[in-house]
Amino acid sequence: MLGFLIGEALRDLHRAGRVAVAAILLTTLSLAALGGFWLVSTNVGQAAEQWRDRVRITVFLKQEPSAAETDELVDRVQAMPGVAAVRYVSKSEALGTLKEVLGKDASVAEQLPTNPLPASLEVMLNEAGATPEGARGLITRLSELPETDEVSGGMDWVDRLARGRRLLDVIGLGIGAVLAVAAILTVTTATTLVLHLRRQELEIMRLVGAPELVVRLPLLLQGMLQGLLGAVMAIWLLIAVYALAGPHLEPLVNQTLGLERLTFLKPHTVVGLMLAGTMLGGFGGWLARGRTAP
Amino acid sequence: MIELHRVWKVFSVGPVKVPALSDISFRVAKGECVTLHGASGAGKTTLLRLLYREELPTEGDIEVLGCDVPALRVREVAALRRSIGVVFQDAKLLPGRTVYENVAFVLRVLGTPRREITPRVFDALRRVGLSARAQAYPAQLSQGEAQRAALARAIARKPLLLLADEPTGSLDESMAGEVIDIIKDIWARGTTVLFATHQARLAAALHQRTLHLLSGRLVKDEG
Ligand SMILES: Nc1ncnc2c1ncn2[C@@H]1O[C@H](COP(=O)(O)OP(=O)(O)O)[C@@H](O)[C@H]1O
Ligand SMILES: [Mg+2]
Repeated sequence: MLGFLIGEALRDLHRAGRVAVAAILLTTLSLAALGGFWLVSTNVGQAAEQWRDRVRITVFLKQEPSAAETDELVDRVQAMPGVAAVRYVSKSEALGTLKEVLGKDASVAEQLPTNPLPASLEVMLNEAGATPEGARGLITRLSELPETDEVSGGMDWVDRLARGRRLLDVIGLGIGAVLAVAAILTVTTATTLVLHLRRQELEIMRLVGAPELVVRLPLLLQGMLQGLLGAVMAIWLLIAVYALAGPHLEPLVNQTLGLERLTFLKPHTVVGLMLAGTMLGGFGGWLARGRTAP
Repeated sequence: MIELHRVWKVFSVGPVKVPALSDISFRVAKGECVTLHGASGAGKTTLLRLLYREELPTEGDIEVLGCDVPALRVREVAALRRSIGVVFQDAKLLPGRTVYENVAFVLRVLGTPRREITPRVFDALRRVGLSARAQAYPAQLSQGEAQRAALARAIARKPLLLLADEPTGSLDESMAGEVIDIIKDIWARGTTVLFATHQARLAAALHQRTLHLLSGRLVKDEG
Protein backbone atom coordinates (compact mmCIF):
# COMPACT_ATOMS: atom_id res chain seq x y z
CA MET A 1 0.00 0.00 0.00
CA LEU A 2 2.79 2.43 0.93
CA GLY A 3 4.56 1.59 -2.30
CA PHE A 4 1.40 2.45 -4.18
CA LEU A 5 1.02 5.76 -2.33
CA ILE A 6 4.64 6.73 -3.01
CA GLY A 7 4.16 5.70 -6.64
CA GLU A 8 1.12 7.96 -6.89
CA ALA A 9 3.09 10.79 -5.26
CA LEU A 10 5.89 10.42 -7.82
CA ARG A 11 3.35 10.33 -10.62
CA ASP A 12 1.93 13.59 -9.24
CA LEU A 13 5.37 15.20 -9.19
CA HIS A 14 5.91 14.16 -12.76
CA ARG A 15 2.59 15.63 -13.79
CA ALA A 16 3.07 18.89 -11.92
CA GLY A 17 6.17 19.21 -14.10
CA ARG A 18 7.66 22.66 -14.20
CA VAL A 19 5.83 23.96 -11.16
CA ALA A 20 7.19 21.07 -9.11
CA VAL A 21 10.66 21.77 -10.46
CA ALA A 22 10.24 25.44 -9.48
CA ALA A 23 9.12 24.38 -6.02
CA ILE A 24 12.14 22.12 -5.65
CA LEU A 25 14.50 24.87 -6.85
CA LEU A 26 13.03 27.43 -4.47
CA THR A 27 13.39 25.00 -1.59
CA THR A 28 16.98 24.48 -2.72
CA LEU A 29 17.62 28.23 -2.75
CA SER A 30 16.06 28.87 0.62
CA LEU A 31 17.91 26.04 2.32
CA ALA A 32 21.18 26.86 0.54
CA ALA A 33 20.90 30.46 1.74
CA LEU A 34 20.11 29.30 5.24
CA GLY A 35 22.91 26.72 5.20
CA GLY A 36 25.37 29.11 3.56
CA PHE A 37 24.91 31.80 6.16
CA TRP A 38 25.04 29.14 8.81
CA LEU A 39 28.34 27.94 7.38
CA VAL A 40 29.85 31.43 7.39
CA SER A 41 28.45 32.16 10.82
CA THR A 42 29.86 28.92 12.26
CA ASN A 43 33.32 29.78 10.98
CA VAL A 44 33.18 33.37 12.17
CA GLY A 45 32.03 32.04 15.51
CA GLN A 46 34.97 29.70 15.61
CA ALA A 47 37.34 32.55 14.87
CA ALA A 48 35.80 34.64 17.62
CA GLU A 49 36.11 31.69 19.97
CA GLN A 50 39.75 31.26 19.10
CA TRP A 51 40.46 34.91 19.58
CA ARG A 52 38.69 35.05 22.85
CA ASP A 53 41.24 32.56 24.16
CA ARG A 54 44.05 34.84 23.10
CA VAL A 55 42.59 38.08 24.30
CA ARG A 56 44.11 39.44 27.46
CA ILE A 57 43.88 42.65 29.37
CA THR A 58 47.09 44.29 30.54
CA VAL A 59 47.01 46.36 33.76
CA PHE A 60 50.02 48.65 34.05
CA LEU A 61 50.87 49.34 37.69
CA LYS A 62 51.89 52.72 39.12
CA GLN A 63 54.90 51.20 40.82
CA GLU A 64 56.54 47.85 41.27
CA PRO A 65 54.97 46.14 44.31
CA SER A 66 56.88 44.09 46.86
CA ALA A 67 56.64 40.29 46.72
CA ALA A 68 53.96 40.17 49.44
CA GLU A 69 51.99 42.98 47.82
CA THR A 70 52.24 41.19 44.48
CA ASP A 71 50.73 37.96 45.85
CA GLU A 72 47.94 39.90 47.53
CA LEU A 73 47.21 41.93 44.37
CA VAL A 74 47.19 38.83 42.14
CA ASP A 75 44.78 37.11 44.54
CA ARG A 76 42.50 40.12 44.51
CA VAL A 77 42.38 40.29 40.70
CA GLN A 78 42.05 36.53 40.42
CA ALA A 79 38.90 36.75 42.54
CA MET A 80 37.21 39.18 40.14
CA PRO A 81 34.41 37.75 38.00
CA GLY A 82 35.46 36.98 34.44
CA VAL A 83 39.09 36.31 35.26
CA ALA A 84 40.58 32.99 34.22
CA ALA A 85 44.20 33.58 35.20
CA VAL A 86 46.54 36.37 36.27
CA ARG A 87 50.24 36.62 35.63
CA TYR A 88 52.48 39.22 37.19
CA VAL A 89 55.13 40.74 34.91
CA SER A 90 57.85 42.54 36.80
CA LYS A 91 59.76 45.54 35.45
CA SER A 92 62.81 43.39 34.76
CA GLU A 93 60.80 40.66 33.03
CA ALA A 94 59.22 43.31 30.83
CA LEU A 95 62.66 44.62 29.93
CA GLY A 96 63.82 41.07 29.21
CA THR A 97 60.93 40.56 26.85
CA LEU A 98 61.65 43.86 25.16
CA LYS A 99 65.29 42.85 24.64
CA GLU A 100 64.16 39.54 23.18
CA VAL A 101 61.91 41.36 20.79
CA LEU A 102 64.65 43.81 19.78
CA GLY A 103 67.11 40.98 19.19
CA LYS A 104 70.39 42.36 17.83
CA ASP A 105 69.28 45.89 18.64
CA ALA A 106 69.03 44.98 22.32
CA SER A 107 72.03 47.13 23.14
CA VAL A 108 69.75 50.16 22.78
CA ALA A 109 67.83 48.96 25.82
CA GLU A 110 71.02 48.29 27.72
CA GLN A 111 72.08 51.89 27.42
CA LEU A 112 69.00 53.13 29.30
CA PRO A 113 69.95 54.58 32.67
CA THR A 114 66.87 53.17 34.40
CA ASN A 115 64.27 50.59 33.41
CA PRO A 116 61.43 52.68 31.93
CA LEU A 117 58.98 49.83 31.66
CA PRO A 118 56.24 49.50 34.28
CA ALA A 119 55.34 46.32 36.08
CA SER A 120 52.06 44.90 34.92
CA LEU A 121 49.43 42.21 35.35
CA GLU A 122 48.35 40.04 32.40
CA VAL A 123 44.73 39.10 32.89
CA MET A 124 43.33 36.15 30.92
CA LEU A 125 39.58 36.03 30.52
CA ASN A 126 37.25 33.15 31.16
CA GLU A 127 33.98 32.62 29.33
CA ALA A 128 32.03 35.15 31.40
CA GLY A 129 34.77 37.73 31.02
CA ALA A 130 34.98 37.31 27.29
CA THR A 131 31.52 38.62 26.62
CA PRO A 132 31.32 42.29 25.70
CA GLU A 133 29.54 43.18 28.95
CA GLY A 134 31.81 40.99 31.07
CA ALA A 135 34.95 42.53 29.62
CA ARG A 136 33.63 46.05 30.05
CA GLY A 137 32.80 45.41 33.72
CA LEU A 138 36.16 43.86 34.36
CA ILE A 139 38.04 46.73 32.74
CA THR A 140 36.14 49.22 34.91
CA ARG A 141 36.93 47.22 38.01
CA LEU A 142 40.59 46.92 37.10
CA SER A 143 40.84 50.67 36.42
CA GLU A 144 39.45 51.36 39.86
CA LEU A 145 42.23 49.50 41.63
CA PRO A 146 44.44 51.95 43.57
CA GLU A 147 47.54 50.28 42.11
CA THR A 148 46.41 50.74 38.53
CA ASP A 149 48.05 53.26 36.28
CA GLU A 150 46.43 52.27 33.01
CA VAL A 151 44.40 49.40 31.57
CA SER A 152 44.93 48.38 27.95
CA GLY A 153 43.43 45.77 25.66
CA GLY A 154 39.91 44.58 25.77
CA MET A 155 37.26 43.11 23.65
CA ASP A 156 36.60 45.87 21.20
CA TRP A 157 37.05 43.99 18.00
CA VAL A 158 36.15 40.56 19.32
CA ASP A 159 33.04 42.39 20.26
CA ARG A 160 32.64 43.62 16.73
CA LEU A 161 33.20 40.11 15.40
CA ALA A 162 30.48 38.75 17.67
CA ARG A 163 28.13 41.49 16.56
CA GLY A 164 29.03 40.77 12.94
CA ARG A 165 28.20 37.14 13.49
CA ARG A 166 24.85 37.99 14.98
CA LEU A 167 24.14 40.24 12.02
CA LEU A 168 25.05 37.37 9.70
CA ASP A 169 22.66 35.10 11.57
CA VAL A 170 19.84 37.62 11.30
CA ILE A 171 20.45 38.25 7.59
CA GLY A 172 20.74 34.52 6.94
CA LEU A 173 17.54 33.76 8.83
CA GLY A 174 15.77 36.67 7.12
CA ILE A 175 16.74 35.66 3.59
CA GLY A 176 16.16 32.00 4.45
CA ALA A 177 12.71 32.79 5.85
CA VAL A 178 11.64 34.87 2.84
CA LEU A 179 12.81 32.14 0.49
CA ALA A 180 11.19 29.48 2.68
CA VAL A 181 7.83 31.26 2.44
CA ALA A 182 8.27 31.45 -1.32
CA ALA A 183 9.16 27.75 -1.35
CA ILE A 184 6.09 26.83 0.70
CA LEU A 185 3.83 28.86 -1.58
CA THR A 186 5.36 27.24 -4.65
CA VAL A 187 4.94 23.76 -3.20
CA THR A 188 1.35 24.76 -2.44
CA THR A 189 0.88 25.90 -6.02
CA ALA A 190 2.44 22.69 -7.32
CA THR A 191 0.15 20.67 -5.06
CA THR A 192 -2.90 22.68 -6.09
CA LEU A 193 -1.96 21.99 -9.67
CA VAL A 194 -1.62 18.32 -8.81
CA LEU A 195 -5.06 18.44 -7.20
CA HIS A 196 -6.40 19.91 -10.39
CA LEU A 197 -4.65 17.36 -12.58
CA ARG A 198 -5.76 14.61 -10.26
CA ARG A 199 -9.37 15.72 -9.95
CA GLN A 200 -10.57 12.69 -11.90
CA GLU A 201 -8.60 10.29 -9.73
CA LEU A 202 -9.73 12.08 -6.60
CA GLU A 203 -13.35 11.91 -7.74
CA ILE A 204 -13.09 8.19 -8.40
CA MET A 205 -11.40 7.67 -5.04
CA ARG A 206 -14.19 9.54 -3.32
CA LEU A 207 -16.91 7.71 -5.24
CA VAL A 208 -15.58 4.23 -4.48
CA GLY A 209 -15.11 5.09 -0.81
CA ALA A 210 -11.34 5.25 -0.54
CA PRO A 211 -10.20 5.95 3.02
CA GLU A 212 -9.40 9.61 3.66
CA LEU A 213 -5.75 8.77 4.33
CA VAL A 214 -5.31 7.21 0.89
CA VAL A 215 -6.69 10.38 -0.65
CA ARG A 216 -4.53 12.74 1.39
CA LEU A 217 -1.27 10.91 1.86
CA PRO A 218 0.03 11.10 -1.72
CA LEU A 219 -0.52 14.88 -1.63
CA LEU A 220 1.40 15.22 1.60
CA LEU A 221 4.08 12.82 0.34
CA GLN A 222 4.62 14.63 -2.93
CA GLY A 223 5.03 17.90 -1.02
CA MET A 224 7.51 16.26 1.33
CA LEU A 225 9.36 14.71 -1.61
CA GLN A 226 9.72 18.12 -3.24
CA GLY A 227 11.08 19.54 0.01
CA LEU A 228 13.49 16.66 0.53
CA LEU A 229 14.76 16.86 -3.05
CA GLY A 230 15.26 20.60 -2.57
CA ALA A 231 17.18 20.01 0.66
CA VAL A 232 19.43 17.37 -0.88
CA MET A 233 20.19 19.71 -3.78
CA ALA A 234 20.88 22.57 -1.37
CA ILE A 235 23.37 20.41 0.52
CA TRP A 236 25.03 19.33 -2.72
CA LEU A 237 25.26 22.97 -3.71
CA LEU A 238 26.86 23.92 -0.38
CA ILE A 239 29.32 21.03 -0.59
CA ALA A 240 30.25 21.98 -4.14
CA VAL A 241 30.72 25.67 -3.31
CA TYR A 242 32.66 24.75 -0.20
CA ALA A 243 34.92 22.34 -2.06
CA LEU A 244 35.56 24.82 -4.88
CA ALA A 245 35.90 28.05 -2.90
CA GLY A 246 37.25 26.68 0.39
CA PRO A 247 40.91 26.23 -0.66
CA HIS A 248 40.96 29.74 -2.14
CA LEU A 249 39.33 31.31 0.87
CA GLU A 250 41.39 29.59 3.53
CA PRO A 251 44.55 31.79 3.19
CA LEU A 252 42.41 34.91 3.19
CA VAL A 253 40.45 33.80 6.21
CA ASN A 254 43.70 32.86 7.86
CA GLN A 255 45.09 36.37 7.40
CA THR A 256 42.01 38.28 8.38
CA LEU A 257 40.42 36.12 11.04
CA GLY A 258 43.42 34.05 12.05
CA LEU A 259 41.39 30.92 11.43
CA GLU A 260 43.61 28.15 10.18
CA ARG A 261 40.98 25.83 8.78
CA LEU A 262 37.44 26.27 7.57
CA THR A 263 34.89 23.76 8.82
CA PHE A 264 31.82 22.48 7.00
CA LEU A 265 28.40 22.10 8.60
CA LYS A 266 28.17 19.40 11.24
CA PRO A 267 26.35 16.19 10.27
CA HIS A 268 23.42 17.00 12.54
CA THR A 269 23.04 20.40 10.89
CA VAL A 270 22.95 18.67 7.49
CA VAL A 271 20.28 16.28 8.77
CA GLY A 272 18.48 19.29 10.23
CA LEU A 273 18.44 21.00 6.83
CA MET A 274 17.00 17.88 5.20
CA LEU A 275 14.31 17.65 7.87
CA ALA A 276 13.56 21.34 7.44
CA GLY A 277 13.17 20.84 3.70
CA THR A 278 10.90 17.83 4.13
CA MET A 279 8.73 19.70 6.60
CA LEU A 280 8.65 22.77 4.39
CA GLY A 281 7.38 20.67 1.49
CA GLY A 282 4.93 18.74 3.64
CA PHE A 283 3.55 22.02 4.94
CA GLY A 284 3.13 23.29 1.38
CA GLY A 285 1.32 20.10 0.38
CA TRP A 286 -0.88 20.27 3.43
CA LEU A 287 -1.80 23.91 2.75
CA ALA A 288 -2.97 23.02 -0.75
CA ARG A 289 -5.08 20.24 0.67
CA GLY A 290 -6.70 22.71 3.07
CA ARG A 291 -7.54 25.14 0.31
CA THR A 292 -9.35 22.61 -1.84
CA ALA A 293 -11.07 20.67 0.95
CA PRO A 294 -14.82 20.61 0.32
CA MET B 1 -31.14 -4.19 0.54
CA ILE B 2 -32.70 -0.93 -0.70
CA GLU B 3 -35.68 0.83 0.77
CA LEU B 4 -37.02 4.27 -0.10
CA HIS B 5 -39.89 5.85 1.75
CA ARG B 6 -41.61 8.97 0.42
CA VAL B 7 -38.42 10.40 -1.05
CA TRP B 8 -38.39 13.83 -2.65
CA LYS B 9 -35.53 15.55 -4.38
CA VAL B 10 -36.01 19.16 -5.35
CA PHE B 11 -33.19 21.10 -7.02
CA SER B 12 -33.12 24.85 -6.64
CA VAL B 13 -31.86 26.55 -9.77
CA GLY B 14 -31.79 30.14 -8.64
CA PRO B 15 -35.33 30.97 -7.57
CA VAL B 16 -36.76 28.06 -9.61
CA LYS B 17 -37.48 24.79 -7.85
CA VAL B 18 -37.03 21.70 -10.03
CA PRO B 19 -38.57 18.57 -8.54
CA ALA B 20 -36.36 15.75 -9.89
CA LEU B 21 -38.01 13.06 -7.78
CA SER B 22 -41.46 13.22 -6.24
CA ASP B 23 -42.67 10.98 -3.46
CA ILE B 24 -40.76 7.85 -4.40
CA SER B 25 -41.25 4.69 -2.34
CA PHE B 26 -40.05 1.20 -3.23
CA ARG B 27 -38.04 -1.68 -1.93
CA VAL B 28 -35.46 -3.96 -3.53
CA ALA B 29 -34.71 -7.26 -1.85
CA LYS B 30 -31.32 -8.93 -1.72
CA GLY B 31 -30.59 -10.87 -4.91
CA GLU B 32 -33.08 -9.00 -7.07
CA CYS B 33 -32.29 -7.56 -10.48
CA VAL B 34 -34.34 -4.42 -11.02
CA THR B 35 -34.50 -2.22 -14.09
CA LEU B 36 -35.12 1.48 -13.65
CA HIS B 37 -36.75 2.72 -16.81
CA GLY B 38 -37.59 6.27 -17.76
CA ALA B 39 -37.02 8.81 -20.49
CA SER B 40 -34.09 11.15 -20.35
CA GLY B 41 -34.66 13.62 -17.50
CA ALA B 42 -37.02 11.29 -15.65
CA GLY B 43 -34.73 11.24 -12.59
CA LYS B 44 -32.88 7.93 -12.94
CA THR B 45 -29.39 9.31 -12.30
CA THR B 46 -30.63 11.41 -9.40
CA LEU B 47 -32.25 8.36 -7.83
CA LEU B 48 -29.05 6.30 -8.11
CA ARG B 49 -26.96 9.17 -6.73
CA LEU B 50 -29.20 9.29 -3.68
CA LEU B 51 -28.41 5.64 -3.03
CA TYR B 52 -24.64 6.14 -2.75
CA ARG B 53 -25.03 9.51 -1.03
CA GLU B 54 -23.76 11.67 -3.85
CA GLU B 55 -26.98 13.62 -3.31
CA LEU B 56 -29.08 14.10 -0.19
CA PRO B 57 -32.86 13.79 -0.43
CA THR B 58 -34.93 16.90 0.17
CA GLU B 59 -37.29 14.74 2.14
CA GLY B 60 -37.89 11.08 2.94
CA ASP B 61 -36.01 8.03 4.21
CA ILE B 62 -33.41 6.01 2.33
CA GLU B 63 -31.97 2.77 3.57
CA VAL B 64 -29.22 0.92 1.66
CA LEU B 65 -27.46 -2.20 2.93
CA GLY B 66 -28.88 -1.53 6.38
CA CYS B 67 -27.58 2.06 6.53
CA ASP B 68 -29.73 5.11 7.11
CA VAL B 69 -28.07 6.83 4.14
CA PRO B 70 -28.89 10.54 4.73
CA ALA B 71 -27.73 10.25 8.34
CA LEU B 72 -24.30 8.76 7.56
CA ARG B 73 -21.13 10.51 8.61
CA VAL B 74 -18.29 11.04 6.11
CA ARG B 75 -16.37 7.96 7.20
CA GLU B 76 -19.49 5.80 7.04
CA VAL B 77 -20.31 7.10 3.56
CA ALA B 78 -16.90 5.79 2.41
CA ALA B 79 -17.63 2.42 4.02
CA LEU B 80 -21.05 2.21 2.30
CA ARG B 81 -19.53 3.09 -1.06
CA ARG B 82 -17.01 0.31 -0.70
CA SER B 83 -19.90 -2.18 -0.78
CA ILE B 84 -21.56 -0.62 -3.81
CA GLY B 85 -20.25 -0.92 -7.36
CA VAL B 86 -21.32 1.95 -9.58
CA VAL B 87 -21.18 2.20 -13.36
CA PHE B 88 -21.45 5.93 -14.00
CA GLN B 89 -23.43 7.25 -16.91
CA ASP B 90 -20.26 8.93 -18.20
CA ALA B 91 -18.08 5.86 -17.40
CA LYS B 92 -15.46 8.07 -15.66
CA LEU B 93 -12.46 6.08 -16.89
CA LEU B 94 -9.13 7.73 -16.11
CA PRO B 95 -7.74 8.79 -19.50
CA GLY B 96 -4.08 8.52 -18.49
CA ARG B 97 -4.33 4.88 -17.47
CA THR B 98 -4.86 1.67 -19.35
CA VAL B 99 -7.94 -0.49 -18.88
CA TYR B 100 -5.92 -2.75 -16.62
CA GLU B 101 -4.68 0.22 -14.56
CA ASN B 102 -8.16 1.71 -14.32
CA VAL B 103 -9.50 -1.43 -12.72
CA ALA B 104 -6.38 -1.97 -10.59
CA PHE B 105 -6.46 1.65 -9.39
CA VAL B 106 -9.75 1.18 -7.58
CA LEU B 107 -8.59 -2.08 -6.02
CA ARG B 108 -5.40 -0.44 -4.86
CA VAL B 109 -6.98 2.63 -3.27
CA LEU B 110 -9.26 0.28 -1.40
CA GLY B 111 -6.26 -1.54 0.03
CA THR B 112 -6.50 -4.85 -1.84
CA PRO B 113 -3.38 -6.95 -1.15
CA ARG B 114 -0.89 -6.59 -3.97
CA ARG B 115 -0.77 -10.18 -5.14
CA GLU B 116 -4.58 -10.35 -5.38
CA ILE B 117 -4.81 -7.39 -7.71
CA THR B 118 -3.67 -8.89 -11.02
CA PRO B 119 -5.84 -12.02 -10.80
CA ARG B 120 -8.87 -9.99 -9.76
CA VAL B 121 -8.41 -7.44 -12.53
CA PHE B 122 -8.10 -10.17 -15.14
CA ASP B 123 -11.04 -12.08 -13.72
CA ALA B 124 -13.20 -8.94 -14.00
CA LEU B 125 -11.92 -8.18 -17.51
CA ARG B 126 -12.62 -11.76 -18.59
CA ARG B 127 -16.18 -11.52 -17.31
CA VAL B 128 -16.83 -8.44 -19.44
CA GLY B 129 -14.88 -9.89 -22.38
CA LEU B 130 -12.11 -7.31 -22.35
CA SER B 131 -9.06 -9.43 -21.51
CA ALA B 132 -7.50 -8.67 -24.87
CA ARG B 133 -7.85 -4.90 -24.38
CA ALA B 134 -6.19 -4.70 -20.97
CA GLN B 135 -3.32 -2.52 -22.22
CA ALA B 136 -5.50 -0.14 -24.24
CA TYR B 137 -6.10 3.44 -23.13
CA PRO B 138 -9.71 4.68 -22.83
CA ALA B 139 -9.31 6.86 -25.93
CA GLN B 140 -8.50 3.74 -27.93
CA LEU B 141 -11.71 1.93 -26.87
CA SER B 142 -15.04 1.80 -28.64
CA GLN B 143 -18.02 3.03 -26.60
CA GLY B 144 -19.11 -0.53 -25.92
CA GLU B 145 -15.65 -1.45 -24.71
CA ALA B 146 -15.49 1.64 -22.50
CA GLN B 147 -18.81 0.73 -20.87
CA ARG B 148 -17.58 -2.81 -20.29
CA ALA B 149 -14.33 -1.49 -18.78
CA ALA B 150 -16.42 0.63 -16.40
CA LEU B 151 -18.44 -2.49 -15.56
CA ALA B 152 -15.26 -4.45 -14.91
CA ARG B 153 -14.06 -1.72 -12.55
CA ALA B 154 -17.38 -1.80 -10.70
CA ILE B 155 -17.42 -5.58 -10.21
CA ALA B 156 -13.70 -6.17 -9.56
CA ARG B 157 -14.14 -5.40 -5.89
CA LYS B 158 -17.07 -7.80 -5.57
CA PRO B 159 -19.79 -5.36 -4.48
CA LEU B 160 -22.96 -6.53 -2.78
CA LEU B 161 -24.93 -4.07 -4.88
CA LEU B 162 -24.33 -2.95 -8.45
CA LEU B 163 -25.80 0.35 -9.63
CA ALA B 164 -25.48 0.71 -13.40
CA ASP B 165 -26.50 4.06 -14.88
CA GLU B 166 -27.30 3.59 -18.57
CA PRO B 167 -24.34 1.32 -19.30
CA THR B 168 -25.90 0.76 -22.71
CA GLY B 169 -26.60 4.45 -23.24
CA SER B 170 -25.25 5.08 -26.70
CA LEU B 171 -24.69 1.53 -27.88
CA ASP B 172 -26.29 -0.14 -30.87
CA GLU B 173 -28.60 -3.03 -30.22
CA SER B 174 -26.17 -5.95 -30.48
CA MET B 175 -23.57 -4.23 -28.29
CA ALA B 176 -26.25 -3.31 -25.75
CA GLY B 177 -27.30 -6.95 -25.77
CA GLU B 178 -23.77 -7.99 -24.84
CA VAL B 179 -23.75 -5.59 -21.88
CA ILE B 180 -27.14 -6.91 -20.78
CA ASP B 181 -25.77 -10.45 -20.86
CA ILE B 182 -22.83 -9.40 -18.69
CA ILE B 183 -25.16 -7.76 -16.17
CA LYS B 184 -27.30 -10.90 -16.10
CA ASP B 185 -24.15 -12.91 -15.41
CA ILE B 186 -23.13 -10.60 -12.56
CA TRP B 187 -26.60 -10.87 -11.07
CA ALA B 188 -26.57 -14.67 -11.45
CA ARG B 189 -23.46 -14.78 -9.27
CA GLY B 190 -25.33 -13.18 -6.38
CA THR B 191 -24.92 -9.42 -6.75
CA THR B 192 -28.07 -7.37 -6.33
CA VAL B 193 -28.47 -5.17 -9.44
CA LEU B 194 -30.22 -1.91 -10.10
CA PHE B 195 -29.92 -1.00 -13.76
CA ALA B 196 -31.09 2.30 -15.23
CA THR B 197 -31.98 2.67 -18.91
CA HIS B 198 -34.10 4.83 -21.16
CA GLN B 199 -34.50 1.97 -23.67
CA ALA B 200 -37.82 0.19 -23.06
CA ARG B 201 -36.76 -2.80 -25.11
CA LEU B 202 -33.71 -3.45 -22.94
CA ALA B 203 -35.83 -3.20 -19.82
CA ALA B 204 -38.05 -5.89 -21.26
CA ALA B 205 -35.07 -7.99 -22.37
CA LEU B 206 -33.99 -8.63 -18.80
CA HIS B 207 -37.35 -10.25 -18.00
CA GLN B 208 -37.12 -8.90 -14.50
CA ARG B 209 -38.90 -6.40 -12.33
CA THR B 210 -39.02 -2.90 -13.85
CA LEU B 211 -39.64 0.41 -12.12
CA HIS B 212 -41.02 3.05 -14.49
CA LEU B 213 -40.14 6.66 -13.80
CA LEU B 214 -42.06 9.46 -15.45
CA SER B 215 -40.97 13.04 -14.70
CA GLY B 216 -39.71 12.09 -11.27
CA ARG B 217 -42.70 9.97 -10.31
CA LEU B 218 -42.77 6.21 -9.93
CA VAL B 219 -45.66 5.35 -12.19
CA LYS B 220 -45.41 1.58 -12.55
CA ASP B 221 -43.70 -1.29 -10.74
CA GLU B 222 -44.09 -4.43 -12.81
CA GLY B 223 -42.66 -7.92 -12.89
N1 LIG C 1 -27.57 19.17 -9.95
C1 LIG C 1 -28.74 19.48 -10.53
N2 LIG C 1 -29.20 20.73 -10.44
C2 LIG C 1 -30.39 21.05 -11.01
N3 LIG C 1 -31.17 20.20 -11.64
C3 LIG C 1 -30.74 18.93 -11.75
C4 LIG C 1 -29.50 18.51 -11.19
N4 LIG C 1 -29.36 17.18 -11.45
C5 LIG C 1 -30.44 16.80 -12.14
N5 LIG C 1 -31.29 17.85 -12.32
C6 LIG C 1 -32.58 17.79 -12.98
O1 LIG C 1 -33.31 16.72 -12.45
C7 LIG C 1 -34.03 16.06 -13.47
C8 LIG C 1 -33.66 14.58 -13.51
O2 LIG C 1 -32.34 14.44 -13.99
P1 LIG C 1 -31.58 13.05 -14.07
O3 LIG C 1 -31.69 12.39 -12.76
O4 LIG C 1 -30.22 13.30 -14.59
O5 LIG C 1 -32.45 12.30 -15.15
P2 LIG C 1 -32.08 10.99 -16.00
O6 LIG C 1 -30.86 10.38 -15.43
O7 LIG C 1 -33.29 10.12 -15.87
O8 LIG C 1 -31.91 11.45 -17.42
C9 LIG C 1 -33.72 16.78 -14.77
O9 LIG C 1 -34.76 17.70 -15.01
C10 LIG C 1 -32.46 17.51 -14.47
O10 LIG C 1 -32.36 18.69 -15.20
MG1 LIG D 1 -29.10 9.98 -16.31
